[in-house]
Formats: sequence, C-alpha cells, structure tokens
Amino acid sequence: MQASRARLFKEYKEVQREKAVDPDIQLSCDDSNIFKWTALIKGPSETPFEGGVFQLAFSVPEQYPLQPPQVRFLTKIFHPNVHFKTGEICLDILKNAWSPAWTLQSVCRAIIALMAHPEPDSPLNCDSGNLLRSGDVRGYQSMARMYTKLAAMPKKG
Amino acid sequence: MDSEEDMHDANDIESLDDDFYSGETEDAPMGFYSDYDDDADDYFDDADYSERTESSRMEQNYTVLKESDIRQRQEDDISRVSAVLSISRVASSILLRHYNWSVSKVNDAWFSNEDRVRKAVGLLDKPVVQFPNASELICGICFETHPRSWIESAACGHPYCITCWAGYIGTSINDGPGCLTLRCPDPACGAAIGQDMINLLVSSEDKEKYSRYLLRSYIEDNKKTKWCPAPGCEYAVNFDAGSGNCDVSCLCSYSFCWNCTEEAHRPVDCVTVAKWILKNSAESENMNWILANSKPCPKCKRPIEKNQGCMHMTCTPPCKFEFCWLCVGAWSDHGERTGGFYACNRYEAAKQEGVYDEAEKRREMAKNSLERYTHYYERWASNQSSRQKALADLQQMQNVHIEKLSDTQCQPESQLKFITEAWLQIVECRRVLKWTYAYGYYLPEHEHAKKQFFEYLQGEAESGLERLHQCAEKELQQFLTADGPSKEFNDFRTKLAGLTSVTRNYFENLVRALENGLSDVDSHGAACSKTTSSKNVGGSSKGRGGRGKGATLTSGSCRITDDNYWSCEHCTYANAKSDTTCQMCQQQRR
Repeated sequence: MQASRARLFKEYKEVQREKAVDPDIQLSCDDSNIFKWTALIKGPSETPFEGGVFQLAFSVPEQYPLQPPQVRFLTKIFHPNVHFKTGEICLDILKNAWSPAWTLQSVCRAIIALMAHPEPDSPLNCDSGNLLRSGDVRGYQSMARMYTKLAAMPKKG
Repeated sequence: MDSEEDMHDANDIESLDDDFYSGETEDAPMGFYSDYDDDADDYFDDADYSERTESSRMEQNYTVLKESDIRQRQEDDISRVSAVLSISRVASSILLRHYNWSVSKVNDAWFSNEDRVRKAVGLLDKPVVQFPNASELICGICFETHPRSWIESAACGHPYCITCWAGYIGTSINDGPGCLTLRCPDPACGAAIGQDMINLLVSSEDKEKYSRYLLRSYIEDNKKTKWCPAPGCEYAVNFDAGSGNCDVSCLCSYSFCWNCTEEAHRPVDCVTVAKWILKNSAESENMNWILANSKPCPKCKRPIEKNQGCMHMTCTPPCKFEFCWLCVGAWSDHGERTGGFYACNRYEAAKQEGVYDEAEKRREMAKNSLERYTHYYERWASNQSSRQKALADLQQMQNVHIEKLSDTQCQPESQLKFITEAWLQIVECRRVLKWTYAYGYYLPEHEHAKKQFFEYLQGEAESGLERLHQCAEKELQQFLTADGPSKEFNDFRTKLAGLTSVTRNYFENLVRALENGLSDVDSHGAACSKTTSSKNVGGSSKGRGGRGKGATLTSGSCRITDDNYWSCEHCTYANAKSDTTCQMCQQQRR
C-alpha cells in the first residue's frame, strides 16, 4: 500500500513537470483518491482518430506497480482492440506482459501507439477487426472517423 | 459357441503347467510383486497378462525416481551442460529449462547458433547499461534514489533497488511456474533472471517455492518423465518409449497408465477409460458446471474459464498454448487463409441453433441411459472398494499375519509366499474386473455374440475370483487362530495356490480376449446380430438392471422391452419405431 502510494506520488510529480513535454497526454489524478486517474489523449495524426480527444479511466491496484493498472476508454471508440460497449482494452502490457517499469504515462503512450497500429488478430471489437482483416481499410477508417467525430470532438453549435 | 469350450479346455491344460511356481522368487525391489511367469517369450509375443504383475524384471522400461534422484539427475544435467558449454550453472539451468531439459537439444541449438540461443533465452554476454562511478542510482520501479549497495541488476545492468526486486520476483513466484522464465523488469530488455538472483533477493519461503517449481519443471516439461498421479505420492517415473506396455508401477505401489496417467486399466484402452471417468463424474454438479462454463485447453486439457477479454486465449504457463475460444483451434491457424474470424462467427451461429451443443447433448444422454449406466457403475465401484480392502488385507498379511503364521505352523516365511501371491492376484484381478465393467458399458448393444462371449468370460473370471477371495479370506482364519501346526495346512496351501493359478488363467483369457477386441466371435457374431436386429429392433435402455453378477449365457433378448421403441446404438436414446434416424444424435437406425 505504502509502496504503491509513494510510487504514484512520484508519478504525480513527474506528470506535473512533464506536462509541457508531451502535449498529447494529459494525465490527472482524482482529487480525493490517488488510485483513480483519468487521462485525456489526443488521437494520433494520420489516423482516423486525428482531431479527437479520448478520455481514459485508470484504476490502480494496491499492488501497483507489481500489478498493472486497469484502463478503459470512457470515450466511445471504434477500434479492433477496444470493446465497443465497455471500453475495455486488449493490450498485452496491461495483462500478462506487464512490467513494473511501465508508468501510467508510458501506458498512455502505448495506448496511443495501439490506436495508430491496431492489432486485428486479437479483436475485442470483431466488426472493426473484420473490416481490417478483409482489407477494407477505407471502410474501417470511415467508421472510426465517424465515431471520432460523434464521440471525441466538441459538438458544433 | 465352440470357442468357449475350447477356451475352457485350454484353461485347464495351462493351469496344470503353471501350478508349481511358488517359492522360488527373488525379492523384487518393491517387495511387493513377484515374478511367477518363467515364460519370457510370452512377454513379447502376445503381451501376456503376467507382464504387468512382474514389475521389476530387467525388461522394465521405466524407472521410478525419488526426489533425491530427481535432484541428482537435474544437477547432473546442469553440470554436464555447464561443462560442455563453459557457462555458469545458473545459465545452463536457464538454458536447459528453455529446451525442456533435453541436454542434446541444448547442445545442438547452442553449437548451431550461439548468438540466437543467447538472445532467445536472455543470456547476455555483457551489460547493456553501466554505471561505473555512480555512488547513488535511481531504481527503475519505485523511482527513488538509493545508495549503490541497495541496487541490484541482472546481467543487463538495469538498476532496481532490492525492495522492488523482492516485490517483482515475489509476485512472479506467487503467480506460478512462469517465474522460471522471469526477465528483467525493463520492457525492452530480455535478460533472464536466474536462481542466483532469486536466492539473493527473496524470502526463504519464496526461494523454497522457486526451487520446487524448478524441480517440478524438470519432471513436467521433460517428455520422458511424469509425476506419479497417486495422491500424496512424491515419486516420478522416467519412461523409455518403445515397448507396447504403458502400465507402470510406482514405488508407492500405485499402478498407472503412462499414456493417460489414469490408474492402470489394462485391458481397456485409454479412450474408453477417459470416457468412463468423465461419465462417472458427469453426474456431479461440479462437472456440469465445468462443462457449461469452461472449455479444456486444447493442448494441456486443463479446464479454462473465460471471464473477460478477446477470443485470443493464452493458457497459463508452462503450457502457454494460444487458441481461439470460439472454435478451440490453435490461434496460429487463424490466419487469412482460414478465413479467421468469419469461420468462428459461423460456428457461433451454428451453436445457437444447437448444432454444436455437445455438452447439453451429453447430459441429456446420461439421463437416458442412467439405468444401464448404474448397473455397470455399481459393479465397477464395488470391485474398486473390494480392491482397496484387499490391498489393506495384503498389507496386514505382510506386516503381521505372515510372521505369526510362520510361528504357529512352523513354516519358514519363504514357504508362505503363496499367501501373499494369492492376495496380489486378488488385488490385480479386482482391478481388471473393475475395468471390464467399463468395457462392458461401451460394448455396442447390437453385438450380441460379443456381448455374450464377454459376459461369459467375465462371469467365469468373476466366480473364479470369488472362490479365491473366499479361500484367502475365510479359510485362512482357522490357521491364524490355531495354537499349533495343523495337518490341514498343506491341503490349504495346495488349494489356495491352485485357485490362484486357475484364477490367473481365467483373467489372462479375459484380458487377452478383450485386448484383441473379442475377435474370436467376429465371424458368427455378424450373422447373429443381423438376424436379431432385423427381428427385434425394439428395446430401450430400460429393463436390464436386474442382471446379476457373473451372469453368463443370458439370452440375447434383453434389449426388447417394448416393440414401439428402438434404442439408438450410438447414444442409447429410445426412439419411436417410426423414426429412421435417432432423435438425439442423428445417427441412422441400423
């Protein structure tokens, strides 16, 4: 418990310092609970998520960093490795390939990388995965772009 | 049924030959079995029944290993690799584990491409990062600054404080045997963490666990060794493939089949045994739940419950098999060429229509054939418990009674071996008899001649065994309680030894007949089943519970109870007469 709190506090301070360094990630800690974090990440450029801002929810276990944090998308996203309804993410480093050397910040970076490089062979959203697997990149991109517009961009007017 | 007569005659002749076998046996290492069959040629020719009772002869193709033997072998293998490759013992242990403890595979791989092996296994030549002059370093996990003495690194040099190391390694050890392939916490670094680091950094409890996993890995990852499956037994068995006999006997006196690790089940084959065991537990809620909620890993068969995530499943170490949850096929087959998920989606649709729902079907069938099943199960189970009792009696005999009897009857203990042998025969026969009930359950209903022949053999064997058991149990009593030598003791010896050998012959016949699939009756069996099935296609699974033990030549009409139904040969479901295919399993009516 103490170790995880100390480590999260370190990360908190680092985040405050690094804010300007990585403009794509804005991590913030819940005011009353250091084990709850949210992040706003920018959709990577040259992807259908470009221009969107996606919110992630982190739930950090007491055994952190020996155990990985649980992360899910709060913003709806059409992506092969993200569950369309729950926002659950299928990413190896959040499951069996976790290492305590990862931080919340680096997890965000890994998720941004996942957005740019979907892994259609392990789909959590089969419809999305199947579009890519069948080579319909245009179909996939337009669906993903539509949901980015609908859910991840400020409403016009 | 000429063959039965022949068989009977053969029994009598053979039993005369075999009568005088006792008293000359060497002490087998186990002190438990003895070799009473001198006819070594039989051993290879027709997989003679006695081969499995004479466990400790030189033909034995397996070795039982105690924990000290296992450690010794493991140490020897590590030393050998360490010497040949000129690497540390820790490194050679990591290498061996990676190659499933096969020294030759390690050598082959290493000498064909050392660099690739080093990379795959995580054995680094030199550090990736170095901090030669730093007096303080930042731990890569807790991000605190620590004095140099608090920092440890694997061969790669990535610095972590000893507290974080202990947490990292401890978590991994408590997660299971995956800790044996632990790597440096740095995600980009693959440096292996060996036992030296473990011993340096974690609690003695975790060290103990790790060393236990390492020992287990030596047995479990090695294709030639397996643990004895008996509860509480800590021995392992090293098996050299080659001979057809898969039954092995552990030092704990438990016999099991090397193939399927169920208890020894000769003459019944592994598939039948697996079906039977599944069936036995299918009645329990537990199995129902497992069937309904889990699937076995297609590779290691451990039941897996899916509680979240995508369909790409990875079994827990050491199996680590990757498969698709929907079709239970290997994940590696889910490439573009198989149509991948489209195929699996179709499976899902078919499942919803009930085409693939085998678990449901199996439960349904179990209900239908429950009565028939109960008949066989009761007899299977009572032979099982009878065998347990006989084992206990045997122990008692060896530990207490033999010595006493030797005193009262003034006979040297070596002259009393016939009693132990009788009991060993009883134990063995109970085991065989037990499994013949599983065999009988799966014997196809329409094969009347086979069924009759089988039941005849089984009945003969069973009544012979009852006589022997009776004699060994009851008639021995008077000599145990006697005050001095009695005249009748020699008669008793002759009788018991005779019964032992006769019973052994009965069982040899039974085992031999079952192992060749009751082929003796094949010719007229076909004709017989044709006539009966064309006339009497009726008969549900009901109404055969009343058949007693040891029933021999019953008439072939037990299937007919009601002319309005026919029972499916495949699943035993009782179908209406008008149906041409089984309503339960879609098999054609024959």
